Amino acid sequence: MDKVRELPEMIERVKDGDCIAFGGNVLYRSPVRVAKELAKAGRRKLHLVKTAMAPEADILCACHCVSKVSAGFIGYETEFGLCGFYRKGVESGEVIAEEHACYSVITALRAAAYGVPFLPVRGFDGSDLPAAVGFLPVEDPYTRETLTAVRAIRPDFAFIHVQKADRFGNSRIEGPHYEDLIMARSPKALIITCEELVPDDYFGEERKADISEVLVDSVAVVKGCAAPGACEGYYEMDREALLRFKKMTEEQVFEVFCKGGGADEGL
Amino acid sequence: MRAYNQADVMAVAVARYLKGAVNCFHGVASTVPMVGILLSRRLYHPELIYLNITGGVDAHRFLPQVSTDGAELYRESKSCFDLSDIFDLAARGGLDVAFLSGGQVDGRGCVNNSVIGKFQKPKVKLPGGAGSAVLIPNCRRAFVWKSRHEPRGFVDEVDFITSQGNLAYVFTPLCVFKKMDGRLVLDALMPGVSLEEVEKRTGFQVIADWKREFLPIKEEELRALDEIDPGRVRDAEF
Repeated sequence: MDKVRELPEMIERVKDGDCIAFGGNVLYRSPVRVAKELAKAGRRKLHLVKTAMAPEADILCACHCVSKVSAGFIGYETEFGLCGFYRKGVESGEVIAEEHACYSVITALRAAAYGVPFLPVRGFDGSDLPAAVGFLPVEDPYTRETLTAVRAIRPDFAFIHVQKADRFGNSRIEGPHYEDLIMARSPKALIITCEELVPDDYFGEERKADISEVLVDSVAVVKGCAAPGACEGYYEMDREALLRFKKMTEEQVFEVFCKGGGADEGL
Repeated sequence: MRAYNQADVMAVAVARYLKGAVNCFHGVASTVPMVGILLSRRLYHPELIYLNITGGVDAHRFLPQVSTDGAELYRESKSCFDLSDIFDLAARGGLDVAFLSGGQVDGRGCVNNSVIGKFQKPKVKLPGGAGSAVLIPNCRRAFVWKSRHEPRGFVDEVDFITSQGNLAYVFTPLCVFKKMDGRLVLDALMPGVSLEEVEKRTGFQVIADWKREFLPIKEEELRALDEIDPGRVRDAEF
């Protein structure tokens, strides 16, 4: 089945309050353009999920699209510092920080992939996080050992940006996979954005796809989707654009992404 | 021998303390550990297995970047060992050293990466502990580093315990702390640093039953550092 669609059509399907998982990691192969389009479409009360995230959370928090973020780390790494708009959202009480360990985000997505309501995880001993975010203990019925029960997160949509996909959704990730192979199995609908649509005979005997068409709802060709972050084999990080973005005020971000309609300005 | 700075000293300390480690892992925003690991593999411990978030194994022959999450750490890897594999390895007891940082570290060896103030309505929201809440309890030895040694970062009790457990050492520009019997104690002073200076810049009471100055930085260590990291990305955290 041909699953190629335009990105705006995919964004149209996202409802206020939906749970959205983003693929990639921090500034690598992250679907930044998707976040910009969600902001532009004026979605509200989104629940964002990813192990380590930066621009998507920052843009969407600046535009007041977010009610909750489930992640282990929200920041740009050393060079570009913290996510100011996310911080402001949490500190003002608008955004709930459901702080995970990256492992528990992975576990929550695995639980969804396995079709179970929770999975036990080892760790969190002595941490204040379980009490703060509501992870409950669970006892192994066989050995009586106590572990932490991580509730499944089944995103309404996962957006994973890849380098190459065919029209059926078979996808090739060049460079690090991060958590994307697990995330791909977790959502109600997996949307692949790609730099390049490859011919039908690209995958086959000589090379298999990293993500199977079996998992994919739709494919949208979105060149430059991860910019100003990097996309291995296609483009490097755009440091100047990132520094420009980091200097913008919330009003400027809102103006550019929500009102101006110029999704590529500023960033 | 050329002059050296705090980044050089911390990278050398990390490299030396990794002697004998089975494997090690660092996450995002971990420039000093990355350079320290590369130095250890170059001079002291070529067999050290080096894992990182990208899934790359034993990354080498690459130009280090300030970011420690990019494809250069993966490109030449012979196999792929994803972050989920690393966490699973730790959960079953197979991860030796995990590098983690913290906004606040206290005298008990508890680490806070979550909030300053109360969790529900924080004064400052920190970026989060990434993997630390599972890695510090699950790895055999957590190596914590902080590139600033100030009283507000080294407190009597952290505002919030993101993680605690198998913390082994804390590396700072001034010293190395070691966790013993549930307390951080001074393990070594960095070259030229006095105990008084550490006490002045530490918010908890410094226990220094025995103290030694870190062995002098060697010329070959500096030479190797400059070869590994000619762009001096290790300075970015300071």
